[in-house]
Amino acid sequence: MSGYIPGLEGITAAQTQISMVDGANGRLVYQGYVIADLAEEMSCEAVAFLLWTGRLPTRAELDALSLELAGSRTLTPAATSSLNALPVDTDPMDVLRSVVSIQGVEHRLAKPTVALAIHATASFPTILAMFHRHQRGLDPIKPRADLGHAANYLYMLTGEEARPELVRALNTYLVLLADHGMNASTFTARVIASTESDLTSCLVGAIGALKGPAHGGAPSAVIEQLEQIGAADDPEKWMRDARTRKVKFMGFGHRLYRVYDPRAKILKAMCERMNPKFFALASKVEEIALRLLHEEHPERPQSTNVEFYSAGVLQAIGLPKEYFSPTFAVSRVAGWSAHVLEQAANNRIIRPQSEYIGPEPRKPVPLGERG
Amino acid sequence: MAEFSPGLEGVVAAETAVSEVDGANGRLIYRGGYLIEDIVPVASYEETAYLLWHGELPNEKEVDALRQQMAAGRTLNQSARGTLMAMDAAIDPMDVLRTVVSAQGASKTLTKPSLEEAVAMTAVFPTIVGAAYRRRSGKDPVEPRDDLGHAANLLWMMEGSEPDSAKAHLVDTYLVLLADHGLNASTFAARVVASTGSDLTSCIVGAIAALKGPAHGGATFAARSMLDKIGSADNAETWLTEAHARHERFSGFGHRVYRTYDPRAKILREMAKTAAPELYKTAARTEEIALKILHDAHPDRPNATNVDFWASVVLTGAGIPKELFTTLFATSRVAGWTAHVLESLSDLRLIRPASRWIGPQPGKKPLQLAKR
Repeated sequence: MSGYIPGLEGITAAQTQISMVDGANGRLVYQGYVIADLAEEMSCEAVAFLLWTGRLPTRAELDALSLELAGSRTLTPAATSSLNALPVDTDPMDVLRSVVSIQGVEHRLAKPTVALAIHATASFPTILAMFHRHQRGLDPIKPRADLGHAANYLYMLTGEEARPELVRALNTYLVLLADHGMNASTFTARVIASTESDLTSCLVGAIGALKGPAHGGAPSAVIEQLEQIGAADDPEKWMRDARTRKVKFMGFGHRLYRVYDPRAKILKAMCERMNPKFFALASKVEEIALRLLHEEHPERPQSTNVEFYSAGVLQAIGLPKEYFSPTFAVSRVAGWSAHVLEQAANNRIIRPQSEYIGPEPRKPVPLGERG
Repeated sequence: MAEFSPGLEGVVAAETAVSEVDGANGRLIYRGGYLIEDIVPVASYEETAYLLWHGELPNEKEVDALRQQMAAGRTLNQSARGTLMAMDAAIDPMDVLRTVVSAQGASKTLTKPSLEEAVAMTAVFPTIVGAAYRRRSGKDPVEPRDDLGHAANLLWMMEGSEPDSAKAHLVDTYLVLLADHGLNASTFAARVVASTGSDLTSCIVGAIAALKGPAHGGATFAARSMLDKIGSADNAETWLTEAHARHERFSGFGHRVYRTYDPRAKILREMAKTAAPELYKTAARTEEIALKILHDAHPDRPNATNVDFWASVVLTGAGIPKELFTTLFATSRVAGWTAHVLESLSDLRLIRPASRWIGPQPGKKPLQLAKR
């Protein structure tokens, strides 16, 4: 037996052809395609198809997929009642976890399939848009079958068709975040899939993992920190002081990338175009943050991560910051379900070992005799 | 990069003091260093949960305090109640549990998992399981009783009548036996979710989701279903021989960790004799034949009866229908799950393994839609 490996760092937990994070060269690859070739060219539907099946769809396949997605956008009456039973101030991630769970209930155990993946993927935007409106005392908007996945999400949030550049931006975001190797939520989904559980169970577990701030929970924190820095007279002084108090800079550092995250590069350019106010402050903060972090740890490769500029893009699209993490899930559900399908196709239960660090065996004392 | 070990077999993913499975010697050690066979005669489920959370068995005052805390945690909040009542009564009880636990824990702000939450989480499982069972049977859920222990309250919530003390004892012992078991898949799922800094509800929902799988928590149901098919001790040899010829797996046999008889199965086997005498006869004969067939086929493999096999007989004796078995497993294991999550907080580090790329050579250019 090998020794304890904290965080399973460097341990290969799965073989996959869905995505590869080439940290050394700053490449993210989906089924053989580098992300930069897909991001602004492909619809998120086409990329989901790619992740699920291993190839890009033909026109007919894409049309069929779009139709199936559109047909799965309505929540079941049970899911709708459950959504409405949640207090309006509930964290939208908790809403998503609970309503995805009830939307996917079954009478008997079903094996994960692409059809089920489509069904689940279609429901995520509906759940978030309905809850967003529920929070504001507004009636839900019925989904529109003639709109694409990204456009329909924005439409269901506001009741109005979003401008094409906002739809395109959201689409690119959804493509960029759709998969990323064996991250913690994807790994959670695969662990659950490995017990031969159902797709909904895998997705619910993954949402729970994505909720953690060390994984998907930090994009709103980027905005909050930028607001604080923006309000300071001297940003660099604020940031230097912050470091002496061990405050983490939000949106920096990644365990895998040794160079600039290719997704962050694309999002940065989008930010510059779409959200100049955010970009002016963010690019200045980025420059200072990278410099200060380099001063502290010249040996560490410090780079801007995907969360930093996604915050600016999602803000420009008009999403409230408590919907940043759940929108990450709207994207990643494509990757999660692809990994579940891959795990199920060639499964072995994921059951690592633990190292016991407790006392040696001894005898218990009966209740009456315990001090 | 390290070798790929399918299923992470042999990879040590955590250090833990919550429990240890000593497969080579057939020992299960609970926190504090107690062997499972020593715990069973002296500790109730509540005491066992306390042990897993605190590292020591409680004294009388501490047990009383815990019982009170648990009794207070048995009520569903509005979100959970609304969600439960919205669900079709015929839904898989594990899906009910997964969903209602998620709704019960839905909150405004992210909180760090705490012992208090662990107690409340553990306390509420019987309420959900009982309600799921009653709704399946066309009955309204009943309110929890704060004068009953954990196991007795579970039976009360299922049956809505004064629970039989012998049955409550069977359930209590089952709950003690299954409360933790090293880094199994559901516990590991809970620890992976915890490693992101997520909340306790998310960890437990993930664990329920993993336990639902037939390769994990669903095995008790499968064992009972196999015994149903066999039907009687007389039919065991014929049925098993034919099933083996069809390359069917025998449910309730084999375990990745134990190389000898599972110590929990041993205790449950004894209990089964009086708990369900008729089913015991079928099960005992099934075990005898199954082990012989498996040994003849693979003399090199240690093929032992696992906990699911005998648990299915004991739960039957306690009056639990097999559709509820996995939820009973969850009702027990939630103590271990929460203990592992709390333990992991002291040295939290994101669990993020690597994957090996087996896809096409990166860099192929995507074709435009019209050209595909």
